[in-house]
Amino acid sequence: MLSFGQNGSVKKPAVAGSAKERISSGNSAVLFSLLAQNTRRGHFCALVDASDCFDPASAEAVGVDLSRVLWVRCRASHQPKPLEQAFKAADILVHNDGFGMVVVDLGNIEERHIRRIPLTTWFRFARVVERKSVVLVFLTNYPVAQSCAGQKLLMKPAIPHWNAPGDIVQLRRLSLAEMEFEIEVEQKRLCKPVQPATPKFTAAPIWA
Amino acid sequence: MLFGCIHVLDFPVQAALRLDPAARFREDAFAVMDGPESLLKISACNEPARRAGITPGMTKAQAEVAPQVRLRKRVMQEEQAAHAALLDCGYRFSSRVESTSPGTITIDLTGTERLLGAALKLGRQLARRAKGCGFEVNVALAANPDTALYAARGFTGISVIAPGEEARRLASLPTEVLHPPENVVETLDSWGIRDFQALAALPAIPLTQRLGQQGLHLQRLARGEVMRELVPAEPAVAFRESMELEESVELLEPLVSLLNRLLEQVTARLVARSLATDHMQVTLTLEAQLDRQLAASPAPPGPAPLYQRTLKLPTPTQDRNVLLKLLQLDLEEHPPLSPVKKVMVEAFPAHVRFGQGGLFHPIAPEPAKLEITMARLRAVVGEQDEQGRSRVGFAQAVDTHKPDSFQVLPFNAERKEAQPRRAATLTPRFVLRRFRPPLKARVELERAVPAMMTFNGRRTKVTNASGPWRSSGSWWDKAEEWQREEWDVELRVTGGVGVYRIFRELPSGSWFVEGIYD
Repeated sequence: MLSFGQNGSVKKPAVAGSAKERISSGNSAVLFSLLAQNTRRGHFCALVDASDCFDPASAEAVGVDLSRVLWVRCRASHQPKPLEQAFKAADILVHNDGFGMVVVDLGNIEERHIRRIPLTTWFRFARVVERKSVVLVFLTNYPVAQSCAGQKLLMKPAIPHWNAPGDIVQLRRLSLAEMEFEIEVEQKRLCKPVQPATPKFTAAPIWA
Repeated sequence: MLFGCIHVLDFPVQAALRLDPAARFREDAFAVMDGPESLLKISACNEPARRAGITPGMTKAQAEVAPQVRLRKRVMQEEQAAHAALLDCGYRFSSRVESTSPGTITIDLTGTERLLGAALKLGRQLARRAKGCGFEVNVALAANPDTALYAARGFTGISVIAPGEEARRLASLPTEVLHPPENVVETLDSWGIRDFQALAALPAIPLTQRLGQQGLHLQRLARGEVMRELVPAEPAVAFRESMELEESVELLEPLVSLLNRLLEQVTARLVARSLATDHMQVTLTLEAQLDRQLAASPAPPGPAPLYQRTLKLPTPTQDRNVLLKLLQLDLEEHPPLSPVKKVMVEAFPAHVRFGQGGLFHPIAPEPAKLEITMARLRAVVGEQDEQGRSRVGFAQAVDTHKPDSFQVLPFNAERKEAQPRRAATLTPRFVLRRFRPPLKARVELERAVPAMMTFNGRRTKVTNASGPWRSSGSWWDKAEEWQREEWDVELRVTGGVGVYRIFRELPSGSWFVEGIYD
């Protein structure tokens, strides 16, 4: 089981930030695991999908109770732009007060757009979330939110492991066996880190 | 036995003013006109109008002599809606409610004293409830329906008539309150019989000889001796309120204000019946042609175009603010194309659903608040994608092997037990992060295995590849048929490794990147 912070959950109230490049890093695995844990506990979650990249089949295989996840799919070629849509949607959802976790997936948004987000936006979200019992998670490909984030997780590049059945080492007989991920807990604003989060974990494919 | 009667004063006038919050029935003079457009006559007026010299039967020209009197045209739909609202007031107290006449209802209150209090207290509650629905009324309670009816018609305010006191209490009422036929009124008038006391005192046999059984019945009514069976009205299946506008509305803001007034009445009626609604329909009658002045052509003949919007909620609600906000958001997204002449709101009733939150249950979005949230989200991200799937809701897998097949259903935060934890969820798993739509790619093969891949403007060496995994389906439907060959490939990219799922579409042979394993 993935573990962040204490008791296997992200501390509340907090803005948690994850970072990603256009590489396999395991942040979707972490996100899906968070959704699975929260929905299994009976929480209702919301996922703001800025680039419409959520795969329901994978989520179901991981154990996410899809009926408890409100999926908001932003429009790609439309005004306002997906990033703006995502922030507006996140603001609406945070103010609903009924969701246990709101995830804003900006993982496919280009870094130059993410960098343009003013710091006041993150401060504003941090201030709003502090008074509410909701966990707000931003998934980006670049470390954001600076000091506003309650907890920041940095995902390191993944190491894929391939296996070949038997002794036949032929490319076409290979299959993707597992991926090794590493998380770096970069910042914890609200609580002193007593014990570091699990630094490494290995994830199996959903078909295994 | 106890019967209550609610009588609305000058009902046609009050029905016309009910949806106008600025109108003061007691202070301002109003008159309602009826008849063909060329021969409009006053059909009803209120007390200030009577004091100004207006009487029923006057023509419009005669009534316009008193400029302080505001004239309104009679609209039967408004009166029907007002009477339905009055019946709903009655259903709040008893299930046996009689629609006695327009603006008058009789309620069987037998057995409710222990629940609702003594007769006078009950009368006050009836008056308060009617006031809440926008009516100035007379209320009377008596041991038989007809005594209650005549007391409500004849006495102002709340009257309670104890059993055995009917004749004495009704004695002062004029005989017109009985609404007898015209010839009977003339006969009684010629005899000098002008009130209930005089009619009740007449000897029965000579009265029957002269006026027949009808005369005897009128006398028994005047004495308060008639006990008849109540004829209960059928409760309405839809709650409809409408408003015809003197001037067309072009902007959304005044339209929302009108909707607010109509919803106020609809929700008051629903509350009176202890009902809620989960299905609401707004019908706007539009001006036939928006730019007919510009086009310099007359409006086409025929009925005015209608514009309908339907609102369906997963949970019934009585909350006017929620319904109004949802209608506002819907009309902002789908505004009518022409000015609005008439507004009609219709609510279909449903039973109120009560929910009890568990002490140890996690928080859940309130159903009404969630609906507003979803409507706001739809306004931001849109309603549907190119495939007709909703943009806001919860995903559900579809029973097919076709990749990326899912449907998005309306999200409903009903409290339900969380699914039991499965052992499979304890293993961390990497998942697919999709590109929608799939990205076009160029793949170079070496011994039928991907060796180089170009996508996003970059050519990269494939360091590992696994496949091909072939799949196909829907061969019986040319439009839906799919056939493909999947590969998992590992690419060295800046900063690390990317493991992608790519596929070749068959028979075209085009390559696409479906997503990244993450």
